Amino acid sequence: MLQIIQPAQLAFPEPVEASVIAPYLFVSAAMFVIGLVGFLTRKNMIIMFLCTELMFQAAGLALIAFGRHHLGADGQTFVIFVLCVAAAEAAMALALVVLLFRHRESLGASAWKELNG
Amino acid sequence: MVRVVDEEHASLGIGLGHNTRDGPVRRVCSKRFSPDFGNERDTVEQIIDPIALYLICGLGAAGVALALPRRDREGGRTMTIVGGLLLAVTFGLGALMLGLKAGASDSPLPNYFFYPFAAIGLGGALRMITHKRPVYSALYFIMTIIASCGMYLLLSAEFMAFALVIIYAGAILITYLFVIMLATQAPTGDKDELLDEVDAEAREPYLASAIGFVLIGLLTAAMFRGIGDLPQPTRDTTLPQAEDAVLLNLPRKVDRVLERNDLLPEGWRVARDAETGRAILDVDARTITLELVDGEDAHGHPNVIATRVLTSEEWPADLSANNLDRLGYNLLNDHPMMIEVAGIILLMAMLGATVLARKHVELEEDLKAAQARKLGAYIGDQQGGAS
Repeated sequence: MLQIIQPAQLAFPEPVEASVIAPYLFVSAAMFVIGLVGFLTRKNMIIMFLCTELMFQAAGLALIAFGRHHLGADGQTFVIFVLCVAAAEAAMALALVVLLFRHRESLGASAWKELNG
Repeated sequence: MVRVVDEEHASLGIGLGHNTRDGPVRRVCSKRFSPDFGNERDTVEQIIDPIALYLICGLGAAGVALALPRRDREGGRTMTIVGGLLLAVTFGLGALMLGLKAGASDSPLPNYFFYPFAAIGLGGALRMITHKRPVYSALYFIMTIIASCGMYLLLSAEFMAFALVIIYAGAILITYLFVIMLATQAPTGDKDELLDEVDAEAREPYLASAIGFVLIGLLTAAMFRGIGDLPQPTRDTTLPQAEDAVLLNLPRKVDRVLERNDLLPEGWRVARDAETGRAILDVDARTITLELVDGEDAHGHPNVIATRVLTSEEWPADLSANNLDRLGYNLLNDHPMMIEVAGIILLMAMLGATVLARKHVELEEDLKAAQARKLGAYIGDQQGGAS
């Protein structure tokens, strides 16, 4: 019933029961929500963008888990593109953060509160 | 040796006690799971008790709300410790409930290594959003990344696991650390007053945590309900070698492996299909057809002089499609357009970042005046000290 080593999981992907995938999906959902809560609560712009990276990461984990269930490489291929978008987003976001910091000498999102319409 | 289990009578995808570990049992899905909607709730219940799930979500929300940063004079440190303890209890409870259910219903569990990786990953993520110092947040995020790499490995996505370490932990996070160092004044003491104003306290911690963990409960319940209806994986054959089917499309790799095993005499190579260029080998029967080629004919086709067949006894042990082969073939064969799109996205991001970052910033008048005063006071201090 309980097995420490499941060598089949490591070499050739074999079909697995859905109950093996479910805990990974739970971790993915929890990670996504933690990122969301962090994005909503923290005031530091750098940490807010770090939280979006965490949400990307959670999405990647869900993709890989579902890809594992379907035994295809599509899930992993999509994670490559998620990484790509995450990298692009990080570059843009950090350039923006540096620019905004130079304007107001503050990293707080509330330093720009006059922007809200 | 291969037993085939017909799942016609299995109404649920999980928890029916088909132990797949006692031999190479292969599943042939003769039809999809029966659309018996009364089963939906049972699917959740076979993974975790719904009451326990919602209790865990509530506890987690309370823990996160307490652990989010607040000023020390409002009891920030104590609250953080209490929140951390609550979260630890939540983790323990979650693992316990999952284990109890899985033990009772006899459905297979993930590899044991999953549990430490999940705990480290989620713990790192929580500490990342609750820590007051941005640098520590970034370092905890690296911990989360490495833990999820472990989970990728357990899900047999080896290439992505190492790519994640290189790209995320190696490149993206280092960029974050650079920007944090560029854009924050490092506090020297452990005191709250020295912290940046923006990091000292959270905005609306209770509301955000409540909403977030309601979302977690909903997401989890929805996923666990639907997971019994997932279609079974489709393959060309049901034999274990089916993963090697991609080798048909990689004749040069087959050539290389055969050569390494001294199975290719001079001038021989794996026979290629004349039209498609695919290798002629049978991954189920484990036979490979070789051909002896001598130059090309008038149409540019290779001149095949002789062929012979390698039997299954001669199939080299290391001739198999690994994760990288399958991923690379999938990426280049099935999603060629997305590579172009990714290239454009990255190029645009690079251009945009360059344009944004090199823009010369005109400080506003009052900020300029404040900086001038600061500088003046500094110079005055130095002159005062010198004289």
